[in-house]
Amino acid sequence: MTISNNSTIELRGVSKSYQRGKSKVPIFDELTMTIEDGDFVAIMGPSGSGKSTILNLIGGIDTIDAGAISVGGTVLGNMNESALTRWRSNHVGFVFQFYNLMPMLSAAENVELPLLLTSLSRSERKKRVETILEIVGLTERARHLPSELSGGQQQRVGIARAVAADPQILLCDEPTGDLDRKSANEILELLQLLNTKLNKTIIMVTHDESSTAYAKRTLFLDKGRFIQQEMNQCA
Amino acid sequence: MRVGSTMLVRQNLTRKLSRSILLVICIGIAFFVFGVLSSFRAGFEGSEANSERLVVASKIGGNETLPLRYFQQLGGMDEIAEVTHVTRLRAHTAGNERNIIGANAVDAQSYASVYADTYDFNAEIMQAFQADRTATLVGRQLAEREGWAVGDRVNLTSFVHMTQDASRDWSFVIAGLLDGAEPTVDTNFLIVRYDYFNAALLRNQDQVNLFGIKPAVGTDINVLAETIDMTFANSTAQTRTQSETAFMSAFLEQFADVALIVKLIVSVSFGTILLIVANTMIFAIRERTLEIGVLKVLGFSGSSIMRIILTETLVLFAAGLALGFALTAAVIPVLGDALSSVVPDLYLTPKVVATSVGLAVVFAVLTGFLPAIKALRLPVATALNHR
Ligand SMILES: Nc1ncnc2c1ncn2[C@@H]1O[C@H](COP(=O)(O)OP(=O)(O)O)[C@@H](O)[C@H]1O
Ligand SMILES: [Mg+2]
Repeated sequence: MTISNNSTIELRGVSKSYQRGKSKVPIFDELTMTIEDGDFVAIMGPSGSGKSTILNLIGGIDTIDAGAISVGGTVLGNMNESALTRWRSNHVGFVFQFYNLMPMLSAAENVELPLLLTSLSRSERKKRVETILEIVGLTERARHLPSELSGGQQQRVGIARAVAADPQILLCDEPTGDLDRKSANEILELLQLLNTKLNKTIIMVTHDESSTAYAKRTLFLDKGRFIQQEMNQCA
Repeated sequence: MRVGSTMLVRQNLTRKLSRSILLVICIGIAFFVFGVLSSFRAGFEGSEANSERLVVASKIGGNETLPLRYFQQLGGMDEIAEVTHVTRLRAHTAGNERNIIGANAVDAQSYASVYADTYDFNAEIMQAFQADRTATLVGRQLAEREGWAVGDRVNLTSFVHMTQDASRDWSFVIAGLLDGAEPTVDTNFLIVRYDYFNAALLRNQDQVNLFGIKPAVGTDINVLAETIDMTFANSTAQTRTQSETAFMSAFLEQFADVALIVKLIVSVSFGTILLIVANTMIFAIRERTLEIGVLKVLGFSGSSIMRIILTETLVLFAAGLALGFALTAAVIPVLGDALSSVVPDLYLTPKVVATSVGLAVVFAVLTGFLPAIKALRLPVATALNHR
């Protein structure tokens, strides 16, 4: 296993529980898995099985009770919150079910947001935003507000924002959960494109069996364990 | 790390534009109210009353007179460095009974020396004043208010004093404009020459309203006040001698309760308005919990998010403050004219401005900081589930 210039995600004996009232509710117990660079993993499982929690843990926005998570050799648990925040802006992009775009910013400005944290100049940022909007097919809509876009278009802005700062890993939490079939397929094709052409590692939580066809493999999560794994044929 | 946060500040201020505008108006009114009140107080405190000077008036009341001959008697006392006398014309501009003008007949030389610290009696205006018996020196504020210039004729009608042709009309020529030694000094009055006024009077000649006294260096003014009143205790016209400050505050006392009530009302409304603003800001920021979570996911640090929110509240308060100052600046001259007989001078002092700016910064930081710190402390995962 190479250390440098790779972003292999490793979970080793990860335990996580939430406090609910007086009792502790375990979500994961000694969970171990590896996701290689350039993988496209779909995660399925019943509601409340911990799918979102896994994404949050890998993205460093939630913390584990025991075990270790490392990404490309960097152990997340060793970083304090501000280091983790900085790390996240460089390595991970999040895509949400309800897009979570800034309602008063145009599509282009939403995509530019993560670039504000980079050392790019204003004109470099504009150029990057243009390129990315072209990739997601929204050049014409650059100046539109989210409210002026369809759900599918908003999600494409969401994906554009997630990849703007060029992170290796994309964490997508039910990215098509709020979309009709046709828009959903377009989004899934876009993710697949990012995976195959740009070699992004993608972890995608989904409720929808047919979505898993776009991933390289599917993990089924239940009661804090991966109970099954399916390999898909590459499309 | 460079954070181009302007676009985030802008989106927050414009997302509910009418709310932002209402907040700015609220803050503006609060500071308007504060500005006027503070100027009102500064007007009371900043009047030209001087605790080192004495005022001798009739023991009976403000409108009673004292004989002019006391002038010589007072002038002969060792403890008195300078003495002058003042007689109120009690007049309005000809044809307009409501436009009351503060007009005093004075002895030019002694008046200028007693009040040398308070007004700027330069050689030029003194010469002009003395060159013409019908001359008047008009305070600059009064001249500006009435639109008068040097050389103009001022026609006044007295409520009480008649000239020898049994008319109550008096006419003077403006010989010069009188400035205060400092900007807070009220110059909303004019002075005319007592020698001319007295000679032209039909009756009540050789009577004055007040004597102004500058005690000799090292004199105990309380002892001197007693000595003066003792001196005239057995005369027909008894005196009441007070420090100028005491005299002024006795005069203002009738308004003091009103001032206190005004102050209370104003403080309460200022406080209430700012509480409303703070409350609205707290809600506006709480509304954004999810967005703050998203920004953190994108990699914005807590401090950069805090900076964005504080900038936003600072912009709101700065706009409100500007509005408040504009209103205050617009209203004070009008109010000052209307209240010139009550409050000697209404004036937006640098101190009031500085206090307002300070308060605005404190409130902006508090109303932004408290809800922001709460939103930032929330774990990102929790914030993301907030909608
Ligand atoms: N911040 C939290 N505090 C307490 N319990 C939580 C929190 N986040 C998630 N949970 C609980 O953990 C379990 C897994 O949640 P989640 O990962 O969101 O499930 P999924 O995405 O698979 O539906 C659920 O029972 C949920 O209620
Ligand atoms: Mg979930």
